Amino acid sequence: MKQLHHLIGSLARALLLVLLVMIGSTLLVRLAPGYLSDAREMDAHYGNTVRAELSQEGARSHSVPEMLVREAGGWLRGDAGVSRQFGVPVRKLIGPRLAVTGGLLLRSLLLGWALALCAALMTSLRRQSGIVWQAPATLLLAVPTAAMATLCLLAGGGGPVLVMSLLVAARDFKFLCRILRQAWLEPHLLQARAQGIRMGRLLAAHVAPAIAGQLGALAGLSLVTALSALVPVEVLFDVPGLGQLAWNAAMNRDLPVLLAITLLMALAVTSSSMLSGQPGEWESA
Amino acid sequence: MKIRLLPLTLLAALVLGASAMVALPGASYAHQDREQPLAGATLRHPAGTDALGRDRLVRVSASLLLSLAGALAASAFTTGTAAAVGALAAFAPRGVAWLVMLVCDAFLALPWLFLLMMVRSALPLQASPAHSAAITFLVLAALGWPACARAVYRGGLGMKRAEWVLQARASGLRGSQMIRQVLPNLLPLLLPQFLVCVPAFVIAEANLGALGLGIGEPLPSWGGMLLELDNSALLFRTQWVYFPVALLILVLLLLEAIPVEA
Repeated sequence: MKQLHHLIGSLARALLLVLLVMIGSTLLVRLAPGYLSDAREMDAHYGNTVRAELSQEGARSHSVPEMLVREAGGWLRGDAGVSRQFGVPVRKLIGPRLAVTGGLLLRSLLLGWALALCAALMTSLRRQSGIVWQAPATLLLAVPTAAMATLCLLAGGGGPVLVMSLLVAARDFKFLCRILRQAWLEPHLLQARAQGIRMGRLLAAHVAPAIAGQLGALAGLSLVTALSALVPVEVLFDVPGLGQLAWNAAMNRDLPVLLAITLLMALAVTSSSMLSGQPGEWESA
Repeated sequence: MKIRLLPLTLLAALVLGASAMVALPGASYAHQDREQPLAGATLRHPAGTDALGRDRLVRVSASLLLSLAGALAASAFTTGTAAAVGALAAFAPRGVAWLVMLVCDAFLALPWLFLLMMVRSALPLQASPAHSAAITFLVLAALGWPACARAVYRGGLGMKRAEWVLQARASGLRGSQMIRQVLPNLLPLLLPQFLVCVPAFVIAEANLGALGLGIGEPLPSWGGMLLELDNSALLFRTQWVYFPVALLILVLLLLEAIPVEA
């Protein structure tokens, strides 16, 4: 019963967060100084048409509560509103890109985690090899994502998956290393190692269950790290995903598209942190 | 000299060198030497020139100074805001604390760079270069506090249960007096937060600049210089286009190597 209450509380908090993000994003974009401006205004060919469109938009979005109701209505209808830039339902823009971004995120997270886990395991078991992994991890963390993506493009090797997985691996490596080192120092594991029990068996039977909760929380953080890198990576590698769409929408003040992507990201982050925060409790519920 | 002070010393040397380079008579980050676009290293231009004939070393020096000054100021603002918000939440009634932390979580529910990009794009993109620099660092400062405030809140909660605080409350210390006593004790928590924010802001500024949402030309910035790498035609002409990236990575490594213990 206590678990159910906890679950309902977490869900309510997540929904409240998403609602706050929606209100905040709408207010932010509507009150932005450049909301009712468009780069095409400078162009003699489009100037008058764009100005007329903007004036209509200004009349429509005069009241912020009405705007919020309209945006929420779009979500309830299932089309997430109509794109200001392309004039099509946002769902049609997001649908195909969601698969691209999902695939990119999944592959990057899997590769990043595999790299980080291998490196952290080796470092936690053999302290001498620590510097071999720590130096590149520190170096990778000091390279801005955009610079890493640009250098990969120039080198002609590696793609978006490599850049994102390296970033995830570098960030998670340090946490994983600390978690594993602490785990190996548990008295019962020291005793078991001294008795010569195989590492694989110890890992599977003792270490993995003990650190599962921390790994879950770290997985949530990895998703946030990967999502943070999504925009520069997709823009620079020209990947037709949500990050590129968000950048395009941000540059053109396409509120419905930007709002839809913002809500999707907020949903992904809140649900991942909700799921990863209490894996132990959920298992025992 | 202690080895742990080496990064700070090297960084100070870099800043001094950059200041000297910018202050040299005749050195201007915006001056265009139209006779020598994309020149290699010469005595006149030790790191060559960019596509517009501007001295790359002067531009890199100016961007180093601008980026560090902006990141330090933004970090100070962020840490101050986080200290105020975190301490308020820790010592306020439970309802206020819940509301403050909910707002923090709403900020944290969005990936940092995405949030930055959204807010930055909502502000004027055609602002003057100085305004665009101010806007970029203001946005960084305004959005960086929630994670730090959460850490301060946790530290504050721990302190709230400390015996000396209980004693002070029992003795009738008012809220404002309590905050004055508590804030200095949060310094060991705030200093690392401040130092962690500086490289994060430098990286964020570079990423925003590379997306075209950072500091406007002709002001030099790391992000603006990263855009130079997008032009593959330039890369065949001179290898010096990699110089800003290399220096940026060095600066970030030094910033991250500064010991964060108070």
